[in-house]
Amino acid sequence: MPPTVKVMRRPEGVRTSFLRATLKGMALTFKHMVNPNKITVQYPEERMEITPRWRGTHRMETHADGRPKCVACGLCPTVCPSNCIRLVGGEDDQGNRYPIVYEIDEFRCIFCGMCQEVCPVEAIHVGVHYENAEYTRDRFVYDLDRLMEQDHPTSLLWDPSDPKSE
Amino acid sequence: MSDQQTPNTVTFTLDGQEVTVPKGTTILRAAESIGIKIPHYCFHPGLSSPAMCRLCLVEVEGWPRMAPSCKETAQDGMVVFTNSELAQKQRTGVLEFYLVNHPLDCPICDQSGECDLQDYVFEEGREHGRGREPKRVLGRDDFGGDVLFNGDRCVMCTRCVRFMREVAEDERLCVVERGNRAVIDTFFEEGLEGSPYAGNIIDICPVGALISKDFLHKARAWDLDRTPSVCPSCSQGCNITLQVRDDLVQRLKPRENLEVNGWWMCDFGRHNYEWMNRTDRTEVPMVRGQEVGWADALGDLLQALKDAKESVKAVTWAHAPNEEMGLLSGLLAELGGGEVVYRSPRTEGEVPLPGFPLLARREDLAPNVNGAEIFGFRRVGDNNSQGGLDELAGHDGVLIVVGDPIEDYGEDFGSKAELYVYLGSYQSKTASNAHFVLPITTFAEQEGTYTNVQGRVQRFWPGVRSPASARPGWLILGALVAELTGTEAPVSADQAFAKIAEKTSEFGGITYRDLGPRGAVAGKPAGVSGD
Ligand code: SF4
Ligand code: SF4
Ligand code: SF4
Ligand code: SF4
Ligand code: FES
Repeated sequence: MPPTVKVMRRPEGVRTSFLRATLKGMALTFKHMVNPNKITVQYPEERMEITPRWRGTHRMETHADGRPKCVACGLCPTVCPSNCIRLVGGEDDQGNRYPIVYEIDEFRCIFCGMCQEVCPVEAIHVGVHYENAEYTRDRFVYDLDRLMEQDHPTSLLWDPSDPKSE
Repeated sequence: MSDQQTPNTVTFTLDGQEVTVPKGTTILRAAESIGIKIPHYCFHPGLSSPAMCRLCLVEVEGWPRMAPSCKETAQDGMVVFTNSELAQKQRTGVLEFYLVNHPLDCPICDQSGECDLQDYVFEEGREHGRGREPKRVLGRDDFGGDVLFNGDRCVMCTRCVRFMREVAEDERLCVVERGNRAVIDTFFEEGLEGSPYAGNIIDICPVGALISKDFLHKARAWDLDRTPSVCPSCSQGCNITLQVRDDLVQRLKPRENLEVNGWWMCDFGRHNYEWMNRTDRTEVPMVRGQEVGWADALGDLLQALKDAKESVKAVTWAHAPNEEMGLLSGLLAELGGGEVVYRSPRTEGEVPLPGFPLLARREDLAPNVNGAEIFGFRRVGDNNSQGGLDELAGHDGVLIVVGDPIEDYGEDFGSKAELYVYLGSYQSKTASNAHFVLPITTFAEQEGTYTNVQGRVQRFWPGVRSPASARPGWLILGALVAELTGTEAPVSADQAFAKIAEKTSEFGGITYRDLGPRGAVAGKPAGVSGD
């Protein structure tokens, strides 16, 4: 059975004007056109400024010769509350300990920043960055090369003028 | 407490507690016996104490200076403080000296997480170093064998030197130079190469100065799951811990048992663990080539065993635990008797550890030769655990294989058998004719016991998860025996052991509870063990 429509008739003899409501609406529109406090940001031409303590996708710092700073100490996979860092350590030809495999699953990450805090050599950092769109889910497991390629600023984690948040 | 005092004990006060210990006990050992840990480096229970690390100093009332608790024996009426302000200040001070040249490279040090320097400094060290001078840098030295030396991390406790001198009695290490420039070094070019017990110095080194090449960077200490076990590489049966990460055995470490191996184990046993991580495993029960569930497989097998007319022959290996062997022999008894043969690798000559005469790497390179002998199994095959099964290969009756993958025979092994049952952990071409292939767990994956060369029955525990639906051999054999005899099937390893102990006089009267973590000698009353 098709749905039936109940037709409400306008009461006879009552006249209605839409003019007043229309003018009211237009007034509001014009008011905002000239309002100096603009809220809308014209993304992507314009970008919002984000706080230096923002915690976004990670970045691995590198030495001048392009090697990752990470020494595969195993602290970040240990501290990570969401268990999203995979690390396999090894030794390179100069006898330096380095990560053979270092991966972060950015989807499981909760961006707590503890990996950055715990890292003894300031290698892994969370980043001041929010544009992470990808076409596929698996691209969100960032491997070592990807983490080293990222070039956005790294997070401060705490306010340098008030490091203990007192 | 003082009323228990006999001429052979002394009573003294330790941190306000009254302690009675045998005469001649050092303060450090007395403190340990009541659970007070005094930090120390140079003292090791298996070595002499030179009292040279100065970390264990304690305050004794009325004494002009602090006493090294590792050397000083407790005296009647002594009043000792291990944690007084002075003692703490002393330790903080000594630790500061230890860090003068220490690189503090915990992030790349394999000892990190199980390092005494890390622990002590974390507990009582200074928060910030005050050193201004550059640190001495020595770098890394290959000591030969499995041992890598990081001179910068050394705390000069000389445990390694004393182990080689007093226990291995194969003096290859020494302290070179004096004072601030002192460093451990090898005498000869070959270093520790070829010394069969040298791996122990890695264990006793309290810091990361001596590390294992084999384990280098493999896992962090805190990532490892540790399970008490028994070394399966010879019939000595050293007590060990399996150290496992991601279900793979990463290394073996000795576990203290004064009746068997002290604190030590041999390098052969220590490094013979790769096979525990073998991946070519049997995973699901197969009956005549079809994958089936356990209930069906066991039901069919029981029927097939009942229907079988011909004589039974069985083969196992000396890696099978007592439970598996005992129940196999029980099964054969129910099937009208039959001979069980076993194979075990063997080598010529023992490798003794001179400073600890109980321990030697034995000639039989499998853990349970004694068990097999107790059950009356006949040994066949050569010293490489090969051959000797020709008679079984063509046997036309019932053929039961437990454990041994029989990799030295061809695909026609058991082709003539009326019924061929293969209970094994590994895939093998000799299993291709088997009517029943039942996957069993390895020793690392199950609970059980081995009987070592001294007749000591020792327990091991599961440290690794078994693949797919493998089951312990005793569970399968126990269920079959129970069905044939109309008794209750054992559902735990201790029940399985109780079952075999009923029938085997050598195990009479021992239960898992008596065995504890350090085992007991079969045939002797429980409680003779070392703890
Ligand atoms: S930010 Fe937190 S959750 Fe994310 S990887 Fe680091 S420690 Fe793990
Ligand atoms: S904490 Fe730093 S050095 Fe350690 S594994 Fe993580 S990134 Fe590497
Ligand atoms: S290498 Fe280790 S065991 Fe040997 S003296 Fe140094 S700290 Fe002690
Ligand atoms: S002596 Fe035997 S039981 Fe002990 S560690 Fe060596 S192989 Fe293993
Ligand atoms: S343990 Fe006593 S001085 Fe070293």
